[in-house]
Amino acid sequence: MFVLAMRSIRQRPGRFAATLLSAFLGAVIVMTFNAMHDTAGAAGVDDVSAESLTTAAAVVGGYGTLLVFFAVASTLTVNVRQRSEEISLLRSTGATPAQIKRMIVGESAAVALVGAVLAIGPAVLGGQALLDQFQESGQVAGSVDYAFGPIALSSGISVTLLASVAAAFLAVRRATKALAGARKERGRMRNLAAWGALVVGAASVSTTFAMDETDAAAMAPPAYGAILLAVGFALFSPVLLTGLLGRLRGPITALAGASGYLTVHNMRRRAAELSGVLMPLIVFTGMATATLYMQAVESDAIEASGLTKSVEDKNLETLNFVVVGIIVVFSCIMLINSLYAATSYRRREFGQQRLAGATPGQVMGMVGVEGLVLTVTGVFLGTVAAVAGILPFTMLRTDAVWPGDQGPGIWLAVVGVAAAATLITSLGTARGTLRTPAVQAVAVAA
Amino acid sequence: MVRRPRRETPVGSSEALRLVEVTKTYGDAENAVTALDGVNLSLPAGSFTAVMGPSGSGKSTLLQCAAGLDRPDHGRVVVDGEEMTGGSEAALTKFRRQRIGFVFQQYNLLPTLTVAQNTVLPLKLAGRRVDRARTEEILAGVGLADRMEHHPDKLSGGQRQRVAIARALVTEPSVVFADEPTGALDTRSARDVLRLLQGSVRLHGRTVVMVTHDPMAASYADSVVFLADGRLAGQLNAPTVDAVAERLAHLGDSVNDEMQAGV
Ligand SMILES: Nc1ncnc2c1ncn2[C@@H]1O[C@H](COP(=O)(O)OP(=O)(O)O)[C@@H](O)[C@H]1O
Ligand SMILES: [Mg+2]
Repeated sequence: MFVLAMRSIRQRPGRFAATLLSAFLGAVIVMTFNAMHDTAGAAGVDDVSAESLTTAAAVVGGYGTLLVFFAVASTLTVNVRQRSEEISLLRSTGATPAQIKRMIVGESAAVALVGAVLAIGPAVLGGQALLDQFQESGQVAGSVDYAFGPIALSSGISVTLLASVAAAFLAVRRATKALAGARKERGRMRNLAAWGALVVGAASVSTTFAMDETDAAAMAPPAYGAILLAVGFALFSPVLLTGLLGRLRGPITALAGASGYLTVHNMRRRAAELSGVLMPLIVFTGMATATLYMQAVESDAIEASGLTKSVEDKNLETLNFVVVGIIVVFSCIMLINSLYAATSYRRREFGQQRLAGATPGQVMGMVGVEGLVLTVTGVFLGTVAAVAGILPFTMLRTDAVWPGDQGPGIWLAVVGVAAAATLITSLGTARGTLRTPAVQAVAVAA
Repeated sequence: MVRRPRRETPVGSSEALRLVEVTKTYGDAENAVTALDGVNLSLPAGSFTAVMGPSGSGKSTLLQCAAGLDRPDHGRVVVDGEEMTGGSEAALTKFRRQRIGFVFQQYNLLPTLTVAQNTVLPLKLAGRRVDRARTEEILAGVGLADRMEHHPDKLSGGQRQRVAIARALVTEPSVVFADEPTGALDTRSARDVLRLLQGSVRLHGRTVVMVTHDPMAASYADSVVFLADGRLAGQLNAPTVDAVAERLAHLGDSVNDEMQAGV
């Protein structure tokens, strides 16, 4: 089976691109930050510098691991779904489920290893740049020497490998369960997870009020709460989307004609699939908005108190921006990958619409309206989650409820990125599928 | 299903479809396949024509070129007196919407739409008004009035094909093309589908062109045209199952002879 896995990678390298990119970026991040452990561990590093370095390594390293897991899981789920035909072919030619599982897990292990090895070079440079940044801002003493050593290497490779293998394992299990028709149970599990995320998220947000106002860690509960709320909303998004479309059916059809008509009917039927696209969209909007506004409120509050930023404050700020940056990149990969897969998977459907009399413009119109509905839904839910985190933090840190000094600029930028990623990916992919003549597009096995 | 009279002249006297020297080649210069080799064909309005020939003889290509789903390399296609010009896909789509209906072997219904929604989709896409009574009337015509709100995955193959026929007829097109419409159906469902196509010609004056490899199916048509190696190879009027089968067998012989001679 491992031989089969290697052969399948060599023959169709393109479809592993998203998984490879996720593994590569994840490994770069994990190694870059764990190089701070190596650096801090060297002889003659003072305590303040060491703490700055190890905090950064621990926080971002942890985040990185989680994100590699989610990103690889997301890309692999898409990958496995796209290959359902190949998998059922293998089954019908006598491969046991265990063999198929080994093949998929073997593939992702190989891809992860390649990604991790490719990541070493960039991570060496990235770690150097990160240390320079710390030294420039005074968080780390200028005398500290850079070290990229065993901790960075081993953690980078093992985290990427383990996260990928675990993600592959789950993806295959879900795929084979879906083949066996275990839909109901998944729905119940999903609802349970959604409620869990919402309850824990709300609790985490509420804990903000129990924090000490001056504690630099006061930002953590609302930030984590906002993420969990975003995940909860994302899990509930199929239901929310169906309801929303029911309401908006009239206006959408009136504004976008036949394209709008197709949009409404398609999206209501495919709401469950679309949650795979909405998840990264909601998490991205929620996380980026929450973290960036909270950081802005924090900076303003420090400035207003007339103090200069402590090393700890600076550490936190750097970390926040790095974490937001990482999340932005990963959510974008997940969003683009799942949207690309979902759209190219619809080649046949687009062909059928064209054969029924839809012009290419009408198909593009439908995809565009769908992208807009997705963006609006994702941005709305993400914003609600973010506001749920921002308000308590602002109340704690300032006298106001609303971060009044902050304009809508940050939010608009976040929405802009979300809308651009969604629309460009779906329209670009749809455009590509329209190049195939309609008759051939429907002839491809669904 | 005839609502608005389309022409002044009595049904059957005008020309619904004309192909002039239609040629189509696939592939590049090195391994080109000539799917259609100068086909001339004229079909009167209100006729039911079957197209038959060996596999790979160009039947599907003929239908697709005539229906504006593919562009011929040379030659002209005239539908209901209007010449099809090889413009953009959007232009061809608009041309097809008003004049052409198409029925596929694999139905090509949209899984996310109900039976009623699938049926009226061509009207919706053309921005035309759809009234409920008309939809019901059309679906009653194909025996599916009680399935309007079902989705295609709840229907049998025969029922799906009848929805596809209702969809092809809904715009009252000048010509309905059907490429092996019974190819995936059992004998009974096939018969229902053939009767529907025949009825649309006899009762409502539609023009139908149907590709089939089944002599039984072809016997429902008014005439059969044979195709071999991308060229027309004869015609048979008032076809019977036996006459068609025999003609087909000979067609096979002559093609085989040619191939042997060519080697
Ligand atoms: N899209 C295509 N690309 C290349 N060759 C094609 C294509 N479509 C049809 N052909 C070739 O053209 C010939 C006629 O095909 P077709 O019209 O499908 O025949 P039939 O429907 O009679 O079986 C065949 O040799 C076939 O291989
Ligand atoms: Mg054919």
